[in-house]
Amino acid sequence: MSEFLAYLIVGIATGSIYALAAIGFTLVWQTSQTINFAQGEFVMLPAILVLLAVKLLGVPIPVAVLIGAAAFVLIFGVGFKRAIVDPMLPHGVLPLAIATMSLAIIMKEGAKDGFSAEAQSFPSPFAADTVSILGTAVSVQFIMIIVVAFASIAALQWFVTRTRTGRQMQAAAQNPNVARILGIPVERMVMLTFIINAALAALASFLISPIYLAKFSNGETIGLFAFIAAIVGGFNQVRGALLGGILVGIFDSLAAAYVSTSYRLAVPLALLVLIILLKPEGLIGRKEERHV
Amino acid sequence: MSAVLEVEDLHKSFGGIKAVRGVSFSVRKGEILGIIGPNGCGKSTLFNCILGQLDPTAGRVRLNGEDVTGLRPSDLNRRGVGRTFQLLQVFPDLTVRENLILAGQEHHGSMIGRLFGPRDAGLTASADTMIGFFKLDHLADAKAGGLSYGQQKLLDAAMAFMAGPQIVLLDEPAGGVNLTMLASLKERLRAMNEELGATFVVIEHNMEFVMSLCTRVVVLAEGAVLAEGTPAEVRANPAVMEAYLGH
Repeated sequence: MSEFLAYLIVGIATGSIYALAAIGFTLVWQTSQTINFAQGEFVMLPAILVLLAVKLLGVPIPVAVLIGAAAFVLIFGVGFKRAIVDPMLPHGVLPLAIATMSLAIIMKEGAKDGFSAEAQSFPSPFAADTVSILGTAVSVQFIMIIVVAFASIAALQWFVTRTRTGRQMQAAAQNPNVARILGIPVERMVMLTFIINAALAALASFLISPIYLAKFSNGETIGLFAFIAAIVGGFNQVRGALLGGILVGIFDSLAAAYVSTSYRLAVPLALLVLIILLKPEGLIGRKEERHV
Repeated sequence: MSAVLEVEDLHKSFGGIKAVRGVSFSVRKGEILGIIGPNGCGKSTLFNCILGQLDPTAGRVRLNGEDVTGLRPSDLNRRGVGRTFQLLQVFPDLTVRENLILAGQEHHGSMIGRLFGPRDAGLTASADTMIGFFKLDHLADAKAGGLSYGQQKLLDAAMAFMAGPQIVLLDEPAGGVNLTMLASLKERLRAMNEELGATFVVIEHNMEFVMSLCTRVVVLAEGAVLAEGTPAEVRANPAVMEAYLGH
């Protein structure tokens, strides 16, 4: 039982990181019909940028985190939208999806060649202690990951649903034409979602890299799991992405512990197939109609 | 009475096709003007030219004497031109009240106020008044996407009034609405006009709806004005019957 609880908490912690990436996925999808296949690399790169800042500028870690996060949000929030999404979107969703796949390859290979092909340790801001929960020793790091991720998601949810700008964002996502007529700055709102996506990815990167180490190939699994999480929960709901992330994290953790680490990747994929067959709109997603 | 909206010799061509040919009319404050005509007569093109969604080839549109020809829809909205849509355009995941607040909030306060001001923009009371007026009280906190088609049409009409418009253009308000809801919509629009002095332009296929709601009617045929007058005058005009019925 205590072992199960430990695996469960690890699953919720990694799941909450997948949720951060999955929420970013759904936000950019809702406002700009962009499926960002580079989302995993978006989570991989900020930690590498931080280590690069330490290496090149010799600054302490907290300063490097600020520099890395700011650079990442600027380049992969604002720059990503301006340089890739805006020019490609008029050509349709598929060319844009291919462009993001290309970006993923460039980011991955760029990190490998420009920084290191080896996994690098990334410092954790949290203590390396353990606490006892129901008699089970649980790492403080995992508890803090859950706390930080959930607090961030709650703050985002508050912003989207309880502020005027958040409501403008929702309006821009739900009906851009009318939002534009009502005078809502739709382009600015769409840009805001890309900035939020980049910020969520940076946060996810700083939370997960102390566990998985900072490595150029980290994005492969994270991107896949975040994508599965978004579909499992419902691609058009922030709450859905959160639920999907947690479920995928738990399945991943329990499968690695009780089935086999060899089948680690297969279990979330099986969950994906099951959801697509039984509830294609996701667990709490909304059915969408498209006129073609 | 002064004209709120004036359309003067408006033309719109698509390549060699002249969709609107020299249409002129004016809408006086407090009246409900209907624009009718058979399919393909240029009603929607005319509406889109007035509302800034198409640039007219020639002609002018004036709002309270000011030339607003070719202004963007959002600028027209800011100047007091409210509109509803032929195809429903509410925000499905927001509640009825939130839809109404959103429809009014861009017109209230400075940019700083819009960023840091209260999240309801001080519009909850106005939204609730509108909810009461359109008899949507029991649905105030319901998501707009879950409303029936007719209820969404009422919401769409209510949203058009949230910015305190000078004039509201209704694009086929009766389309797809059942008879009960249609009567309710007509009754609410008439009350808006009689009690609050609201000015309307209605484009509509439903002759009965237009004739019973509007104070004056403009009939279009082949992109030009065929007739203009009170509903009774238009009904009695043989040219209108010929354009509609082909005899």
